[in-house]
Amino acid sequence: MKCGRTELDSVRYIDDEMTQEERAEYEEHLLSCEECRETVERFKELKALTGRVRMKDPTDEFWEDYWKSLYRRMERRVAWIFIIIGAFIFFAYALYEILISFKKFTLDKAGLAFVLAGIILLLISVIRERVHEYKVDRYKDVQR
Amino acid sequence: MNGGKVIGPKEIVLEWVKGDPSAFGRIVKMTMKQAYAVALSFVGNADDAKDISQEAFIHAHRARSRYDPDREFFPWLYTIIRNLCLNFLKKRKVQTNLSLDALELKPSRDPNPQEQVIVNEKREMVWKALFELTPEHREVIILKDINGYSYAEIAGILDVPIGTVMSRLYYAREKLYEVLKGFKSI
Repeated sequence: MKCGRTELDSVRYIDDEMTQEERAEYEEHLLSCEECRETVERFKELKALTGRVRMKDPTDEFWEDYWKSLYRRMERRVAWIFIIIGAFIFFAYALYEILISFKKFTLDKAGLAFVLAGIILLLISVIRERVHEYKVDRYKDVQR
Repeated sequence: MNGGKVIGPKEIVLEWVKGDPSAFGRIVKMTMKQAYAVALSFVGNADDAKDISQEAFIHAHRARSRYDPDREFFPWLYTIIRNLCLNFLKKRKVQTNLSLDALELKPSRDPNPQEQVIVNEKREMVWKALFELTPEHREVIILKDINGYSYAEIAGILDVPIGTVMSRLYYAREKLYEVLKGFKSI
């Protein structure tokens, strides 16, 4: 501002964040400063517009579903962890049983061993990704 | 458990931190409307706002052992929602999902239909203009002008000094004024 006042005064003024003394002093300044007066008028006009915006409050059904779907979401996440761990143990054990029963090479056993090894690798990849996501999760340690 | 005694929000949060699973449900019910409104002000449509605010509760629940009970709960949750929203917007890059359904418009029973149309049009225009701003600028205007928080409250929520709140508001309003001028709404 050419007058030497900070532009933040105009913001504080229209937001009613000045003390009574500051307000009275600023109003006196406005009488003689066209630049500040214009800024205040501009912001008042703007605030009258933004003050009209209201966000719609969703229906009661929306809120009822909000909690239920959040609960389902959390439940499913736990369920997936159990499924992945269980599947990993199951397939790893099956692969182990096949490998120790290899007395003679047969195509069916070899095929099954490769399928199981593939599934295990996929499960390891999923588990590793989840662990990595958790480690780099920027919000898990959010502290204020 | 509280033995049937009526307990306040602070105590519920304390019970949740201590591990009472039922307290989490009560916290969600206490703060879900605010959480949803915050997400909506960032992402602009109801479906994404619901999704992100729910995700924020899950993050908060997972991080509850690190929550400082001496602090207010909602500013902490706000930080999580805000970060999730900013990440979401960064991934989406282009703001294409803005919905006017999230906006409260004047009811049709208004006695002056012409005035009702004008007010609704202005509300829609301001809502669209707000989404032309950066999320940081939009956030301060919504917190101040739509939600009516004081500078001190906004500073607490955003964890920034009051001076930063004021300067962000100044630049955000200057920018919004320019956008609305471009829309010929001002």
